[in-house]
Formats: sequence, C-alpha cells, structure tokens
Amino acid sequence: MARSIVLRAFLLLPIAFVAAFLLAPLGLTIAVSFWQRVGLSVRPAFVFISYLTFFDSVRFAVLTRSLLVSIEATVLSLFISYPIAYFLAFKTRPDATRLVLLLFTTPFLVNYVIRAFAWTYLLGRTGPVNALLTSAGIVNRPLDWLLYSDFSVLVGLISSYMPFMIFPMWLSLAGIDRALIQASWLLGASPSRTFFSVTLPLSLPGVFAAAVFGFVSCFGESAIPVIMGGVGYQLMGNTITSAMDVLNYPLAAAMSTIVVLAMAVLLLGWYLVFDMRSFLGKVLNWRT
Amino acid sequence: MSTLSRPTRRDLMFLGAASGLSAAMTTLFATSARAGGTINFADIGVGDPDGNWSRYSKASGFNVNLVAIGNAPSAILNTLVAGGGTASYDVINIVGGMQKPLVDNNLIEVVDTAQLPNWAKDKNIGEFLGKGKPGFNFIGYQDKVYGVPTVLQGDSFAYLPEKTGNLDSYAALFDPKWKGYVALEDNYTTAGQKTALYLKHAKLAQITNPDDMTADEVKTVINFLIDQKKKGQFRVIWSSFQQAVDLIVNREVYVIDCWEPMVFVAKSKGVDAVYADPKEGYLLWAMAAYLTKNPNRSLETTKAAYQFLDFMLGGWYGAKITVLRGYMTNTDAPIYAKEHADEFPAGDAQKVADITANVRRKFAQGGTWQNRWPTQVDVYESEWARFKAA
Repeated sequence: MARSIVLRAFLLLPIAFVAAFLLAPLGLTIAVSFWQRVGLSVRPAFVFISYLTFFDSVRFAVLTRSLLVSIEATVLSLFISYPIAYFLAFKTRPDATRLVLLLFTTPFLVNYVIRAFAWTYLLGRTGPVNALLTSAGIVNRPLDWLLYSDFSVLVGLISSYMPFMIFPMWLSLAGIDRALIQASWLLGASPSRTFFSVTLPLSLPGVFAAAVFGFVSCFGESAIPVIMGGVGYQLMGNTITSAMDVLNYPLAAAMSTIVVLAMAVLLLGWYLVFDMRSFLGKVLNWRT
Repeated sequence: MSTLSRPTRRDLMFLGAASGLSAAMTTLFATSARAGGTINFADIGVGDPDGNWSRYSKASGFNVNLVAIGNAPSAILNTLVAGGGTASYDVINIVGGMQKPLVDNNLIEVVDTAQLPNWAKDKNIGEFLGKGKPGFNFIGYQDKVYGVPTVLQGDSFAYLPEKTGNLDSYAALFDPKWKGYVALEDNYTTAGQKTALYLKHAKLAQITNPDDMTADEVKTVINFLIDQKKKGQFRVIWSSFQQAVDLIVNREVYVIDCWEPMVFVAKSKGVDAVYADPKEGYLLWAMAAYLTKNPNRSLETTKAAYQFLDFMLGGWYGAKITVLRGYMTNTDAPIYAKEHADEFPAGDAQKVADITANVRRKFAQGGTWQNRWPTQVDVYESEWARFKAA
C-alpha cells in the first residue's frame, strides 16, 4: 500500500512538471491575450482588442502565409522522407538502417542558424550552385530566385525538418506485421495494390505523426525566413517577435494563442483518427 | 542602430558574448583575490574591452561580471523586469534612447554627473548630447540625465564602387539602376528613418521631423518603400551583422543600408566597399550605460558603479573599445592612445584618431538622430510589418 502511494507520488512528478512549466505559462499567455494595454504596461481585463487588431492587419496575412508555407514544406518533406523511411524499413539490413538513421541526425550537430547561413552561401548569386549552372551553360546569368525567395525558404525548412520526419514513419513502417503484407501477395494483389491497400494505411499513424512534427516545426520557425526569405519574409514567429519589440504583449499573446489553437486542432485530429496505443504496440511488437 | 538588430547589433553581441563569458569567468576566479564586491554589468557585446577590467578593478577594488544581453526593447525590459534584472545588474550598456520605457517602469536611476569626473572632460557630451541638443534624447528624459554615453556613431549606407561608381545620396538605395541589388536593415528606426530623411531632402514627401514622424508620415514612408519593394528594388532585408557582411563580401548586393563596422570587416576580407558620405546627413545614435534601480545595492556598490561609469568615460576604455569595435567613444580616447604607445601601438592609435575624427565630422554634419522609441512607436512597428508583408 505504502509502495503504491510512493509510486503514485513519483508518477505525479512529471504531471506537476508539465503543469508548472507548460500549462501554466500557456494559460498565462491565453489570459494576457485578453488583457488591455495601457501605455507601456498591461492591465488585466477581458477585451478582444488584440484579436481584432490581429485579424484586421497584415499579420493575418502572415498567418495565412505561415499556414501555406508550412503545409507546402510538410507535404514536400513527406514525399521525400516516406520513400527513405520505406527503404530503411523494408530494404536494408538492421545494422545499415541504424547507421543511416544515425547519419540523418548528424546535420543537427550544427546549429540551425549556421546551416541557414551555409545555404545562403550555396544559393547566392555568386555561390557554387549558380557558378555550376552558369559554367555548365545551363543558364546565362545567375538565378536570382535560388535565394531570398519562396523557393529558398522551402529549401531551408525541408532541409531542417525533413530528416526528423523520417523517424516516426520508419517506426510505423517497421512495426507493420509482415504477415499482412505476405497475405496480400498470396491473395494475388500486385505490389502497388499491396502498398496502397496494406502498407500505406498501416503506416498512416507514423505519417501523421511526421506531418504534425514537420508542420509544427515549420509553423514556429523564425530564423530561416529571416536569413533565407528575402525582402521581409515573415512567418508567425517573426511577427510575434516584432510585436514584443514594442512591448505589445497582449497582441503577441493573442497571436501565440492562435498558433497554439491551430496546433491543438491538429493534435486533436491525430488523437481522434489514430489509435496511438496500437501504433506504439506495433513498434513494441517489431522490437521484440 | 536598430530596434531589432541594433538591439542585437546581433553579431557584435554574439561575438561579445564569448568574450563576455570569458570575462565573467575571469572575474569569477579573481573575486576571491580582492576585498571589494562585483559590478554586474549587462552589455550588448559592444562594451567589453576583451575581458580586461584590471584598471577599473585596481582603482575600485571591485570586479566586473559582464553578462551579454539583447538590445531589443522587449529583451531589455524582460531582462530588467521579468528576469529580476534590477536586482541582478548594476549597469546596463545598450543603445540609448530607451529612457521613456525604462524610467516609466522604474528601472533606472537618474545619473548624478557630479560624481563623474570624466563627464565634463568628454567634449562629445557637451557638443552633441548635452541638454538642449538633439542627442540628449539618447541619454536624458524629462530634463534629467539617465545614461552615460559610451559609444557614438553616424550611420549611412555602403556601396561597392567597382559596380556603382561614387555614391553620395540615400537616393542610391532607391535608384532603379541598382534594382535587385539593394539591401535594407530590418529596422524601422534605421531604414525607415533614413528613407524619411531622403524623402524630406528630395522633397518627395512632407515630413516635418524624420526622427519622430506622425502616423501619417510613417504611412507615407512605408507606402514609398512598398512601392519600391513591388518594383523589385530590394534583394533582401537583413537582420544580423554577419548577414550584412556576407551580402557585401559575396557581392550579393551593391548598395546596402548598414553600419560602418560592417564595411571595416568587408575591407578586411579584401572587398573594396565604401561607407557613404551622404549629402542628406547621417543617422546619428549613441549607446548609453544606465544605472539600474537596484533596491538592494549597498552605498559602497553604488559608489563603485559610479566609478565604473566614470571608467567608461575614460581614455583607456574609450580607446580600447574604438580599436575593438570601430565606434567612436569619448574625446579622451585618441589622446590617451597617442600618449601610451606601450598600450596602443601606432597603428591602433591612428585608428582611434581616424575613427574619432571621422565620426565627429559626421556629427558636425548632422542628419537625423535615430529615435529608438518614437512617439508613434506602435504605428512604426505595425507599418513596418505591413512593408515586410507586402
């Protein structure tokens, strides 16, 4: 009995930690978003002025852009990372898989700001990519749109977060019961039909997990748009920072709340559509 | 200087952070060797004399614990309010002009200049920053002095003469000849104010005071910038020291609204970049060291903090910072550097003299004083967001 109480108390620690350091600040952020700005200070209130300001300004366009860019980057990343995860799950030896997965983590040993700066060097007008293209006669003059454009922001986002998206999809694919795939073959299904009817549906929890991870990361990104985005390219992180620079905390909090709500909707969808216990169960099953 | 980047003068801050850390470590280890206490000094990376505080420590018996902070208003206020910074720091050295939010939030003390022997010696203060001068806004508020000026500079823009020939007007930033080869700083109080200065001088807009525009004037400036942006005039809006240096060094742009030390770095990398001497004048600014309102500070520490502020107005410190950062400091700096060849080799002494003379010339020529906290600061911010989102 005493042991059970100690165990429960021990389990309460992470809950208390999350409540203190995650939920409380989140609740405070939501509360501040309704507060009133008075001069340089804020006063507790329940007004919607910050939300009205947000929806009535260019910042709403930034939200729209953030959503679109994040969706684009996430979808493109899925198309790139899914085949890699599939190959690692079905076509390579376990030791080779481990090595490749390890290699995918190595870029993250370099600070992401430095990585973004490296891209600006590579993609600039006088950078190696343009030099190669012009010297090979593929283009007559350096391509301006390689850098400081939508394209370069996508390159930055995809290169930053796509490798992370491989892991949940690999977990999901590797956890699929091979007997189900073999059964499909035995029943005469073609490889493509087997993939679309068996493998892909069973890997969807991992795909969605990867998508959520990629989307959330891209949506909150602020360094890559600044470094690679050109003339004032902004995502939500940038416009929130900008509001804070003039001490408009209610507006910054309102925008943060909207971002959190968008994320919450995504996570709720994930929770409702997929049974995570079965997803984890498959992973555990694969590991044994 | 920028609200975003100046706050940062980001690269300098990062560079300074490392040396600041080493300074902090040095002073930490040295603490036990002295009877006095420690001055906790928050700085944006410009005011660190490479960790060498020995002169001050020897004179005061106090050590210096330097901590790197950001220079954005929010970062400063967060440090001082949310971070309990007034109890943690004795002196903060940031780009000035922040008195209104700092005083209104009861975060800094009035400076008693009578306790600063070097105050009266610094001709820069009397000529450019004293009461009644436009530069007073960088150190004073409501007729009281709150900041001790540590660095002064006049900003314009840089260009690559090999591509553009000689340029002497902010008009170059908007000249269609350089379409797609122009960069601006991501800062409404620098790029926005320089644009206002240009529009006023070129009689392209009715702007009474470029350093404190009305809401309508700000909108006029932003409409102009949006029009330029849509024509493809700008290649990028930069926001860090390294980014701007790379743009010059890689010849990604030919004309760039930037800070003079970036040109020094570009030149050191073999690029023939020139910092312009625009006929419209300069964007003038100053860094200020503020004494925080620390309720727990002892009289002894307050006295040491005043000694520290006075030390920053001194010749050795000024010369050291000018050599290291490329900014003018005080008028005693070139004299000290020239008279102490053992500490400042001829090349360094000449550098201090040249930079001081050059910046004083800029201040004599005038232009517009950067306004870190204009009356319509919210309009500036939201309009700048409109420009960026356009």
